[in-house]
Amino acid sequence: MSLPDLALQIAYGRLAWALVAAALLLAVLPAIAQRTRLFIVAAMMVLMLLPGAASPAYWLVLAFQYPSGLLAGCAVVSLQARWQGRRPRFTLPAGLALGLAAIGLLMYLDTFGVLALGLYYGGFNPVAAPLLACAAAIGFAVNVWRGHAAGPSAAMLIAVLLFSLLRLPTGNLWDALLDPLLWSWALGSSIVAAKRMLAARKTQRRQEMEPEPAPEPVLAAAAE
Amino acid sequence: MGALHPPLPRPASPARPARLIALLCIAAALAATAAETWRWSRAALHHERPALLSHQGTPVSGVTELSHAIIPMPEGVPSAHASSLASLPDGGLIAFWWAGSRESGPDVKVYASRWSNGKWSRNWEVASRDSLGRALGYGVRRIGNPVAWTAADGTLHLYVVATGLGGWAAARIVQMQSHDQGATFTVRRVLPMSPLFNTSTLVRSAPTALADGSWWLPAYFEIGHKYPMLMSFDAHGDPQRLTRIGTRTQSLQPSLVPVSPTEVRAWMRDDGDSRRVQQAVSRDGGQTWSDLEATALFNDSTALAVLRLANGSLLMLHNREDIDGSARSALTLSLSTDARNWRPLIDVVDGEAGDEFSYPAMYVVGDDLHITYTYQRRAIAHHQYRINLQNNLQKEMP
Repeated sequence: MSLPDLALQIAYGRLAWALVAAALLLAVLPAIAQRTRLFIVAAMMVLMLLPGAASPAYWLVLAFQYPSGLLAGCAVVSLQARWQGRRPRFTLPAGLALGLAAIGLLMYLDTFGVLALGLYYGGFNPVAAPLLACAAAIGFAVNVWRGHAAGPSAAMLIAVLLFSLLRLPTGNLWDALLDPLLWSWALGSSIVAAKRMLAARKTQRRQEMEPEPAPEPVLAAAAE
Repeated sequence: MGALHPPLPRPASPARPARLIALLCIAAALAATAAETWRWSRAALHHERPALLSHQGTPVSGVTELSHAIIPMPEGVPSAHASSLASLPDGGLIAFWWAGSRESGPDVKVYASRWSNGKWSRNWEVASRDSLGRALGYGVRRIGNPVAWTAADGTLHLYVVATGLGGWAAARIVQMQSHDQGATFTVRRVLPMSPLFNTSTLVRSAPTALADGSWWLPAYFEIGHKYPMLMSFDAHGDPQRLTRIGTRTQSLQPSLVPVSPTEVRAWMRDDGDSRRVQQAVSRDGGQTWSDLEATALFNDSTALAVLRLANGSLLMLHNREDIDGSARSALTLSLSTDARNWRPLIDVVDGEAGDEFSYPAMYVVGDDLHITYTYQRRAIAHHQYRINLQNNLQKEMP
C-alpha cells in the first residue's frame, strides 16, 4: 500500500475543489468574456487557498474529503471546453456514465456490507492496481491521440496520472476513478440517457406505425 | 460541468498541435509506467506473520489484585470514555481516553496519563478537534475513541476517531505518532478505509503484534450494517493491507488474537439479536476470514478486550449479564486455554442496575495485568493484577 503524503493531499484538496467549483460556475453561467472566465478560475483558486475555516475547501474536505482524480479531470476538460467557447453539456457521455454507475453501485453495496467482495480493498493491491493504472494510462493516451472519445479519455488520463505519479487522492485506485459525487452525476446521466433512448424508440415506433401517405391517383392526374 | 462531449476537435492539419498532443500522450503514458516501475522496484516485501509468544504451558490459576485507582481526569470535565493502553519504551504504561462535556460534544478531547512507580501522572491533552483540524487542513466535527500502539522502534502510534459532517457514521481514523513517549503527537495521515467520502470507519480494540514488528489495527464499519475490518501496518507504521473480517453484518469492534502460527481468532461485540460474543477465524495467518458460530458468552452490544498470555492462555474482559438484567453493570475476566471454552476468573467490578462499567482495555507488563475501563461514563478506572500461574503458587507454598 503506497499512500500520498498528507501535505500533498491538502494541496490536492484545495486545487481540485477549486477546479470543480470553477468548472461548475462556468457551466451554469451564460456566455461570458474570456477575461471573466479567467477571473472566475483565479477567484476560485484564491478562495480555496484561504487559511483555515475561511477556505471553502476546509468545509468541502470535511464533508466530502477529496474529489476523485476523474472528477478533477472532468473539471479540467470542462474548463478547457468552455475556454474554447463550446457550450456546456450537463450529462456525462452515456458509455462513461453507465460504466461508472454500474461499478459504483457494486462498490457501494460492497462497502455498505450488502455484498462481501472486498472491491475497495483491491484498489490498494500492490500488483494489480499499478498494472491496471499503467494499462489504463497507455489506453487512454492512445485514445486521446487518436481523438476517440477524447474528452472522457483525457479526464481518465488525468485521473490515472494523478494516481500513478503521486498516488492522489488517497492511494486507492478506486478513489482515483470514482467518488460518490461523480457516481451521482453518472447515475443521473445514465437515467437521462435511458430516457432519451426510450423517447427515441417511441418516436421511431410511432413513425413505423403511421400509415404511408396514399399514392396520388395517377390516372386522375393524367386526365388533368 | 459537462463538456466531455462533444469530443475535443482533432486538428485539421497534421502539423504542430497534433504532434504536440501525440508527444503529450506518449509522455503521459511513459511517466505513469516509469513511476509505477520505480515504486515497484523500491517496494519492500511485506509478509504478515502472527507473532506467537513462547508457550510455557503452565496454566493460570487466578489473578490477585495489587491496586486499583481512578486515573486523574481533566478538571471540570464530566464525561470520559473509551480508554486504551500501551507500553512505553522505558517500561512504563500510558493510557489514552476521551473526555469532555458529553459524548460527541465539541469540547471532547483525547487525554493521556502515564503510569510509573505505581501512580498515574497528571493528564495532558493529546488531540482536540481544533488541533486535528489545523494539522489536516480541514474541519473535524467530533473526536472519539483513541487506540494506542507502541512500535518496536519506540514510536508511539495513536489512532483517533474524528468525524466529518455527521455523527459516528461520518467517522474517519486519524493516525498520529509520538517520538517522545506520548508527550507530543504529530498527525501522520487519515487512513483511507472506505470509498464513501472515507467515512463510517472507527477503531476501538487494541492492535495485534506481528512477527516482524508490524501490527494489525482492528477497525469496523458502522453505517447501517456493522462489520469488522483490519488494516495491517509495517514496522514503520505505514499501512499495508485492508480487509474485512468475515461476512457478518451485525458485529463490530474486533479483538484479534493469534492462537497458532496460522490460526487467528477475532472476538467481537454483537449488534444483533443473539446477544452473544461473536467470533471469526482465519486459518491463513489473517489473510482471509470465516465467520464462526457465536460463543456462549453474553454480549448485549458492549465492547470487549481479549489478549494472549505468555503461557498461551487467553483472557477476555467483557460485560456479563447481571442478575438485574443490566448489560454494562458488571465486568468479568474470563480465561480460555483452547480459544473455544471460557470460564470466569473474577468479577473486576459488579455494580447495580444503571451502573456503567464498559469499554475495557487490557495490557500485560511482566507478570502484571493492567485493566482500564469506563467508570460510570465519568472517569477511567484502573486495576492492576498479578497473574498467578500454578507452579508459582506451588513455589510460594511452604
